[in-house]
Amino acid sequence: MTDARKNIRFLIFVFVLLFAAMIFYLVYAITVYGERWFASPNNPRIGSVKGDVQAGTINDRNGEKLAWSNGEDREYSSDSSLRESVSHVVGDPYGMTRGAESFYAKYLYGFAEDAVERISDVLVGQKRRGSDVWLTVDAKLSDSILRAMGDRKGAVVILNYKTGEVLASVSNPAFDPYKIKSYSGKTGSTALFDRATMGRYPPGSTFKVITTAAVLENPELELKFHDCLGTAEIGGKDVQCAGKTAHGEEDLEEAFYKSCNTFFATQSLQLKGELLKKEAEKFGFNDDFMFDDMVAYQSVYSKPESDIDTAWSGVGQYKDLMTPLHAAMIAGSIANKGVMMEPKFLKTAQSPTGTVLYSLQTEVYRTPVSESVAGELKKLMLGVVSKGTGSAARVGGLKVGGKTGTAEYMDDKGKKKEHAWFIGFIDDTKHPLAVAVILEGAGSGGKYAAPVAKKALDKAVDLGY
Amino acid sequence: MIYVRRSAAVVLFFILLLVLSAFGLLAFRDGQFDIIAAAFGIGACVLFVTLYNVAKTVFRHIDRYVLIICIFLTGIGFIMQYRLNPEYALRQIIMFAIGIVALFIAIAAVKKAGNFGKWNYIFMAGVLGLLLLSLLFARVIGGARNWVQILGMSMQPSEFAKVLFIVTAAYFFSNKNRIASILPFLLFSAACILVLVLSKDLGAAILYALTTLVMFFAGTGRALLTLAGMGILSAGAYASYRLFPHVKTRVDIWQNPWVAERTEGYQIVQALMAIASGSLFGMGLGLGSPASIPASYTDFIFAGLCEEFGIIAGVAVILFYLLFVLRGALIALNARTLFHQLLVFGCTAMLCLQCFVIIAGVIKMIPLTGITLPFISYGGSSMVSCMALVGIIEGVAVKNGEYDEKKIESIGGAVL
Repeated sequence: MTDARKNIRFLIFVFVLLFAAMIFYLVYAITVYGERWFASPNNPRIGSVKGDVQAGTINDRNGEKLAWSNGEDREYSSDSSLRESVSHVVGDPYGMTRGAESFYAKYLYGFAEDAVERISDVLVGQKRRGSDVWLTVDAKLSDSILRAMGDRKGAVVILNYKTGEVLASVSNPAFDPYKIKSYSGKTGSTALFDRATMGRYPPGSTFKVITTAAVLENPELELKFHDCLGTAEIGGKDVQCAGKTAHGEEDLEEAFYKSCNTFFATQSLQLKGELLKKEAEKFGFNDDFMFDDMVAYQSVYSKPESDIDTAWSGVGQYKDLMTPLHAAMIAGSIANKGVMMEPKFLKTAQSPTGTVLYSLQTEVYRTPVSESVAGELKKLMLGVVSKGTGSAARVGGLKVGGKTGTAEYMDDKGKKKEHAWFIGFIDDTKHPLAVAVILEGAGSGGKYAAPVAKKALDKAVDLGY
Repeated sequence: MIYVRRSAAVVLFFILLLVLSAFGLLAFRDGQFDIIAAAFGIGACVLFVTLYNVAKTVFRHIDRYVLIICIFLTGIGFIMQYRLNPEYALRQIIMFAIGIVALFIAIAAVKKAGNFGKWNYIFMAGVLGLLLLSLLFARVIGGARNWVQILGMSMQPSEFAKVLFIVTAAYFFSNKNRIASILPFLLFSAACILVLVLSKDLGAAILYALTTLVMFFAGTGRALLTLAGMGILSAGAYASYRLFPHVKTRVDIWQNPWVAERTEGYQIVQALMAIASGSLFGMGLGLGSPASIPASYTDFIFAGLCEEFGIIAGVAVILFYLLFVLRGALIALNARTLFHQLLVFGCTAMLCLQCFVIIAGVIKMIPLTGITLPFISYGGSSMVSCMALVGIIEGVAVKNGEYDEKKIESIGGAVL
């Protein structure tokens, strides 16, 4: 008789592997993605418990109440400027935005408490109260930043580069949470859109930080001598400096201070697209940003093919896109010896009975460059503020480093306009602050964004950060 | 020498405890006592105990653990069905009773019939007939053309065809005249798969194809040919990905359902949210909202289960299926003829693969193809055919037991 026993034994082994893979995947997926899946604004569970659960309070880092429940209603700060300045961070209870209200629904609506507690509440018929959360942001700082931005659309992010705590994340125009429903039908209004975490802008010259990092890591490819004539012809097309200013003979250091385009365009050709892409990805470009505390859109760097594209991409003007949050992380990593911390928005979560359900744990997101390369970059960025294009960002008595950017784009009408960028940091162990400022269509970064960065850093230092 | 069969009554006791406490909880769900829930729970337990005792009395040698696992999974199904829609649970318990009849018929048939001889040709015709029936007359539900109205009842002929398909596969793969019998069967199998693909019943098509491959390998041990078969299968899958837009949609959704959160990806996104909401220990029975997942009571029941009982229960259920598979495989290893080895292993493999295809689909490990979760999903055809498959497995177990008993008696021992 032919026997199938041997084959069957082998197949059993295969089946056991299949089932083991299934169990592993299930546990892995829930551990890694579970909270994100749950926190989707489309999760009907969050809406369905609203009648039974009184949502907890959202506080800023100092205990200032930002959103709380009053019976069936949600209340916010009576100071309209303050409540608008934190509107994107706090979000709304209807799932129209992606702030704390939906991302921390697990705590606010008591899903984090255990099943036994929940079942007993239902049996007793008690109206449950969700947990309270404390965010990392400072409402006063956010408020003063929103005021400093005035009518300019854009975003400002300030974070502690040692811990990753985001102290302010302001997006202008902000929205008034009391009138959230009135925004839904309005076309053309972008007030509900959080520019700080989801706005993707061409990085412009701020990208030269990354191009320079690539040079410092590959010193043999450094452009030793360059004579800037204000424009340079590459692959039959022109690359110009701002205002076609001829910067003359210069080396990497000087070109960085003056933000010379022709230098970095030529330098990029020497580095090649592949290396630039590798460097950008080391800094977190093209990564999904699966941060624990928030949804942040991806920053994009696509590899340029032609010479002119390579030249422009090293100057931050090809298809590269960057979010303001990511920009602040990049600046912070330079000041933090090459270590980029994962940005954090949630400080603590505490149940109504006083159990601490969550407290912030700092995490390293990645280490884009070595300490020595970070040190050299830091020196260059300090130079930009002390003697280069970023002088408007000087903060009295403190060492500030940074990089300006003036990113060209076409507006809806096809008109050439410029975003003003400033990314920077304070080089001081007592004030480990990194900042990113973008002002849409404002013009020169040194002229418009740097002063806002200065005001933001001033206020943060004032408040003791 | 006296062999005493180990009783599985202790395990059964815990299953009853689980079912009773779950229905107790469901009875108090709305604040006032729901007598129907309580009665349903007690009724289900009575049915389980009766089934267990009658089965082990009538057929002394049945494998008690296979039966117990099948009772456990059905019990979980009852709890979820009742929680989602009590009416469906009532229909499900009736189908379970019919399934019990199918189980006993299958045991008796396997015990009596040897390898079914010439009947297999009739079975083949039956399989193709049933599948064509759904292609030609079926109504389209959920994109698949697999429901047929007979005598006012909706049925899925492809479910019943499964059982006969395995019997014929075991017959032809165990035939002495190998090439002459295997080749025609492979053609027959290909025809079945083609009809299923044309009916857009992708889940069943994949199940038939994989089962054929697994049984081919078990029966012949030809690794290279099996690999070639897998190659053909992959090529076929790729071709349908390129040819049929609905297959392409499935794959795209699998890759990233979140871009179509409110449209094509809705179902899987809702399932993932449900599983994530349950987290480790679940939201608690009756406290989640599994009803927000489309098809929560059939194909997607695993997501609802994870939501309310937690991943821990999800993993436990997977482990119970695995235990069932191992138990089935043991019976196959004990079977005395190649036909019976393949028969049992085919039934086990089909249930195992069905389980994998749907659970892995629901948790987004592989592209989703709609198919029921054995014993737990709502669905009469599925319940009856699964019970018939269990019946076949038990039938061979009975045969093995009788053979062993004779052997033991011949040397002066006894089996109690």
